[in-house]
Amino acid sequence: MDQLLQALVSGLLLGGFYSVMVLGFSVIWGVMGVINLAHGEFLMIGAYMAWGLFRFFGMDPFASLVLILPLMFLIGYLLQIVLINRVVERPHLMTLLVTFGLSIAIANLFKIQFTSDPRNVAVAYNGSVQLAGVTFPIVKTIIFGVALFIMVCLHLFLQRTRLGKSIRAAAQNKTAARIVGVDINRVYAITAGICIALTAAAGAMLSPTQAIFPFMGPPFTLKAVTITALGGLGRIPGALMGGMVLGVTEIFVSTYVPGIGTNLGVATSFILLVLILVVRPQGLMGGLRPIDAEAE
Amino acid sequence: MGTGPPASRIAQKAKKKPPFPFFAPVYSLLAGWTGLAFWLLLLLLLALYPYTGVSSVALFVGSQIFVLVTLASNWNLIGGMTGYVDFGHAVFFGIGAYIMGILVTGTPLLISPEWGFWQALPASGFAAALFALLVGLPTLRLKGPYFSIAMLGTLVAMREIARVLRPITGGGVGLNLPPLLNRLGDYYLMLAVMGLVVSLIWWIQRSEFGQSLIAIREDEIGAEMRGINTTLHKITAFMIAAFFTGIVGGFWAWQNTYIDPDVVFVEARTVEMVMMSMLGGLGTVWGPPLGAVVIYFLQDLLWGNLSGVHLLPLGLLLVVIVLFMPEGILGTLGDRSSTSLGRLLSRVGRSR
Amino acid sequence: MTSDPRPLLEGRTVSKFFGGLAAVNNVDFAVYPGEIVGLIGPNGSGKTTLFDCLSRLQKIDGGQVFFKGRDVTGARPYQVARMGLTRTFQSVRVYRKMTVLRNMLISHQWRDTSLWRMLRPSPASTAHRARQLLEFLQIEHLADEEAGRLSGGQRRLLEIGMALMPDPDILLLDEATSGVNPTLIETIKDRIRTLNAQGKTFLLIEHNINFIADLCSRVYVLNYGEKLAEGAPLEILQNEAVIDAYFGA
Repeated sequence: MDQLLQALVSGLLLGGFYSVMVLGFSVIWGVMGVINLAHGEFLMIGAYMAWGLFRFFGMDPFASLVLILPLMFLIGYLLQIVLINRVVERPHLMTLLVTFGLSIAIANLFKIQFTSDPRNVAVAYNGSVQLAGVTFPIVKTIIFGVALFIMVCLHLFLQRTRLGKSIRAAAQNKTAARIVGVDINRVYAITAGICIALTAAAGAMLSPTQAIFPFMGPPFTLKAVTITALGGLGRIPGALMGGMVLGVTEIFVSTYVPGIGTNLGVATSFILLVLILVVRPQGLMGGLRPIDAEAE
Repeated sequence: MGTGPPASRIAQKAKKKPPFPFFAPVYSLLAGWTGLAFWLLLLLLLALYPYTGVSSVALFVGSQIFVLVTLASNWNLIGGMTGYVDFGHAVFFGIGAYIMGILVTGTPLLISPEWGFWQALPASGFAAALFALLVGLPTLRLKGPYFSIAMLGTLVAMREIARVLRPITGGGVGLNLPPLLNRLGDYYLMLAVMGLVVSLIWWIQRSEFGQSLIAIREDEIGAEMRGINTTLHKITAFMIAAFFTGIVGGFWAWQNTYIDPDVVFVEARTVEMVMMSMLGGLGTVWGPPLGAVVIYFLQDLLWGNLSGVHLLPLGLLLVVIVLFMPEGILGTLGDRSSTSLGRLLSRVGRSR
Repeated sequence: MTSDPRPLLEGRTVSKFFGGLAAVNNVDFAVYPGEIVGLIGPNGSGKTTLFDCLSRLQKIDGGQVFFKGRDVTGARPYQVARMGLTRTFQSVRVYRKMTVLRNMLISHQWRDTSLWRMLRPSPASTAHRARQLLEFLQIEHLADEEAGRLSGGQRRLLEIGMALMPDPDILLLDEATSGVNPTLIETIKDRIRTLNAQGKTFLLIEHNINFIADLCSRVYVLNYGEKLAEGAPLEILQNEAVIDAYFGA
């Protein structure tokens, strides 16, 4: 019983991180139809930034978000204008290839710069609290809280602000949005900026909990795809739900599959992904774009 | 849908733009039987090459290039001709490598007696083809990017599984194969495999089977509706591509004498296959081999001695190819209106 | 026209749902050999969905489809195609990067195609038939053109040619005249008549009422996924319910 409760709590805490991790990926896909295979690499960049700020300036990873968010917004904005806007209208394959190439390039740039030695951010509050027989790791609980906060902010931004509304308009009908005077390229650039900033923020928050190395990205990209397939595109409640499901599943597999379970994170989510896509190609909650319809 | 562009524009477009003047004869010669004749002649010359008294390093380089050409051509069969862009094709390379490693060392499973290289090599291919059947049945039902991502997932998942299944694969420690160096033998073996694979692709491309693959790429629903058993054709193409990739993987394990999950199940190898095919010209017979040779010498020329670092420019090059010449070298030369590089070159040509 | 009492293509209480919405609801119909039957109805009335069900592109949620007396409810599209049912699409489906001739060649009859034949280039007999059909449809001058470069009307003709390649018993044409210029429409009409005289059966989805009235012996009218009326074209056009459905009351 205790083990079950503990697994559930750990799963939900992990799920909270997953849901904030997936936001950037899911919104980029939902708004511009780009599957960003470099997603995990932006997360890795965020983690390295947090590590650098911690190592050289003693800055707390959560405090460093104040610097990381605007900087990565700028990088995302420029990347969209310089690169992705050029291929966004082209067939899916092209954007897929561009982001795939980008992911390889970024990971190897970091390998050259920082070697592939794992880095750690050892914060002072790396302990845990016991509550009703269940262990709550402090860092992961903070991540959970910040994740929920970010999701509420993003939700309010998309629903209430003028800019958020034009992003949603561009997602639903690009042509119509253009006709009523939305500058699509600018909206895309802002969207990319926000998404990449959020992704990097997730990486920064992750930095105290796991080793940071240049090739940590791809598993996160894959998990992001799985969560999106679970929860649907560009929807914040969907991301939350999908993240929780994946988090709990992973922890359950590692708890109850003896011996080897802990190392099967990606395999678990991969099997989940293929199952979902084969059974329901439109995603579990629906809303994945029917690829065939927009092929031309 | 419905009304096309005005008739005057059709008439204008209908006029075939001549390929680059200097390239036109070569281009037309590459098509059909003459292309195959040139290929066989090239194979003959390559077979005679070792008799010119070359060093074993040159033979090693030769076999490396043959490996790349084989991989690119194989990938092109599923990614270029059938239009299923496989981002995890290296998984078949890895399966082949592991089957070879397990069978010839015999250590983890206590296979005895250990298999010889020549028995294990076909086994690598068949194992990869079988794996392609198992993976392909669900994944080939997925469309476009979903297939690509599912295959990427297969690759990453297999790496994890290989690491975990210590009793079979040796886990992260990997497997050490008996070091039996035979550069000349390697050279001829890979020359034969490459010759076979590229000729096979040439043959397939002319056949109704190959044309049906292209039809599937262009419009899968239409192809199915016109009587093509798309599932069967896709799976067959996928298994052929996996078979030879598995063979190459098995050979590579033998030549490298060491394998672990991180050296055989790597995304970078897939990127190489995609790049070489894209650079040469997706879906063409001679493009991917050409791309493979170009990429090999580019790497050798620019970043030869910095192992590992070459992937940075490789990734960037992929971005550049997609942006400026998505039709590849052959495509760009063949129809210069289709790519921005082609248009640029033809503009330069006109100003002269 | 209904000399043969056994229908060539028959649907019994065919239904298809999207979510809770019935796109096709309990539709009964039959097409007899040698007929030209029209299928009309306002936009979104389920015509194309019914076509998709008949050609097996969509899973049927209720009812059965019979072709040549055989139950094909669970068949795959390529199987009914090989039995002799071909179709065209509302949004034309041709292989854009292949030449017109290659488009035709690859659409040959795949029934009884041996493995050996599949490993060879298309035989001369297939090429001969393809060129004849292109001539019949008056697009033989485009044989070596890439299909993606044709005009909308030319593509429709090519698609009809591809549907004719396997020598089918019945052709399902989905809006064969939309986006086609008036002269070409006359050509299409003429070709359908010729083919029908040679014994081919047609089921047509059409918005062009004149086209239907000129060609069809019987017409089915769909509205909101349900069969609203059936009968001879001229009767149908005077039917109150049909007029209401089209023009609103």
